[in-house]
Amino acid sequence: MRVVEALISALLVAGLYATMSYGLALIYGVMKIINLANAGAMMLGSFTTLFLWQTFGLDPLVGAVIVAPLFFLLGAVLELVFVRRVADQKPVVSLLLLFGILLVMQAAASLFLGGDVRAVRPVYVQEVIHLGDVTIAYTRLFMFISGVLILVALELFLRRTFLGRAIRALAQDRDACRLAGIDVRRVSMIAFGLGTALAGVAGALLTLVYPFDPSNPFGVLQLKSFTIIVLGGLESIPGVAFASFLLALAESLTVTLSKPQLENLVSFILLVLVLVVLPGGLASLIRRRRLA
Amino acid sequence: MIGRLGLSRRAQLVLQVGLVLAIAAAIALIPILDERSFNLQRIAFNLLWYAILASAWNIVGGYVGQISFGHAAFLGLGAYVTGILWSQTGVDPLLTLPLAGLVAAGYAVIVGMPTLRLRGPYFAIATIGVGEATRLFFVNFDDIFGVTLTRGVTGISLPRYDPITVHYATIVVFVIAMLTTMYIRAGRFGIGLFAINMDADAAETVGVPTARLQVIALAISAFFCATAGTLYAARQQFLDPATMFGFDKSIAIVLMPVVGGLGTVWGPVFGAVLYSTVQDQISSLVRNPYLPAVIYGVLLVLIVMFEPLGVAGLIGRAGRIARSLVRRRGDVS
Repeated sequence: MRVVEALISALLVAGLYATMSYGLALIYGVMKIINLANAGAMMLGSFTTLFLWQTFGLDPLVGAVIVAPLFFLLGAVLELVFVRRVADQKPVVSLLLLFGILLVMQAAASLFLGGDVRAVRPVYVQEVIHLGDVTIAYTRLFMFISGVLILVALELFLRRTFLGRAIRALAQDRDACRLAGIDVRRVSMIAFGLGTALAGVAGALLTLVYPFDPSNPFGVLQLKSFTIIVLGGLESIPGVAFASFLLALAESLTVTLSKPQLENLVSFILLVLVLVVLPGGLASLIRRRRLA
Repeated sequence: MIGRLGLSRRAQLVLQVGLVLAIAAAIALIPILDERSFNLQRIAFNLLWYAILASAWNIVGGYVGQISFGHAAFLGLGAYVTGILWSQTGVDPLLTLPLAGLVAAGYAVIVGMPTLRLRGPYFAIATIGVGEATRLFFVNFDDIFGVTLTRGVTGISLPRYDPITVHYATIVVFVIAMLTTMYIRAGRFGIGLFAINMDADAAETVGVPTARLQVIALAISAFFCATAGTLYAARQQFLDPATMFGFDKSIAIVLMPVVGGLGTVWGPVFGAVLYSTVQDQISSLVRNPYLPAVIYGVLLVLIVMFEPLGVAGLIGRAGRIARSLVRRRGDVS
């Protein structure tokens, strides 16, 4: 029974984990850049949602819909002004640049919004559903549904539209794309915007369940998205969804079967282990199987 | 920057060593001239302390080009080795300094052997994981082993120790750290590290043992970070995981050498001067703890985009411009 509970709670948390990691995987796929500013975009997404909730009484789920286009613009501008200029240099350069942008985002947010921990509490925050012995909070259920919806929408976009195909082509071979007449810079900009929009949406959803504050550059939660994309093979969207579930499961099993304090340790140990043993993530394992 | 004065390599090295010794001597005079100059002593300690950390990080981040966001792990490890030994056995904390360094170096070898095979962003992300895992390990240390040594988030309180002795110990460590980074940069080992930085595959092909050199570089880097931890423990009398292993420490350790001048000998020192001054002055002037962080972030973005060699690069440019002005004037007359 405890295992079933752990499984369900993992599935619910995985929705949020996946949403906050899709953007990271998308940007890595197209530009081969780890977007360290992802965490900053998430935090700003949370605060935008808080603002919408406080000022207009908008529910975080509605807030997420408004956050998405705003953050698409933010990401596109960041790409246009900063990232583009260092894209051809060593990976370390873009890493440091995005780290700097992250610091500015976090510090500016702390400067203007104060360092307090905030939370959004819509009316249904306490409501739960009973399924036999298992209780599920509405908020977590919404997070899970959003995660699945975004997964489906992203996959449809990437597979069915011209722009989506261009993004996937870019992830495979940049030079071939140039030869095929794809506007590489424009598509990169759109991908970066999309990735940032996804981070913003993740930030909006996060307000439902977790309190947030601007001061922590890499909150534990935000660090987990690195584990997830590495585990998922860095550029595959379904891989990210699956890895999110695995990480959430590993954590919830640690909590139920071992010590709760070790929950966060799991993801970091997993991160280092996967990077070292299986640098291509789970996707490479499946691919290797297929080849063998 | 000193390198472009047209001197021979040997003369440059002598000049640089002289400069380090001069700085050390000047700072050593502070408590002698005025024993009650506590504020100045504190500023000097912070400056040297940050310079040691920045120079140590630079060996891996600047020379090899492997960006580590987890160096606070080594700093904290050193501090905790000293803190635990001192509080449990009463041994003189400064005597534990080499041991703290060696423990951290050993940890660096264990962590580095697998992770340093990763390059670029992968290594950087792995170090974030290592840093956070180490912090959480020390937070839960007592729980895991069923002992009472680190006292979790509460931290360890330590006895008082003579700050002037720490002052001189810090100067000695600073000199050794600087001489080490200079020695590495000038020698065969350093050439190997820079070769890895430029093209790891090419370096491997021409016979540079890339794996071994990187691990050694990380171990040396960890050693000096840990000694800084020891010095901190001896001076501050209190250790807790949030301060010693905190991600803000790792950020500071990255910021200083990058802003000062990645891969240069003096860049980390410039960075440390800048960082400790901003930390000290601006935060007390403006009374806003977040403003310095905005400044560092903007500086980092500007430097990465426009002057990859940081302050050291700017000084080099200024020197070139000044020389060209002098030369032009000479041509006219």
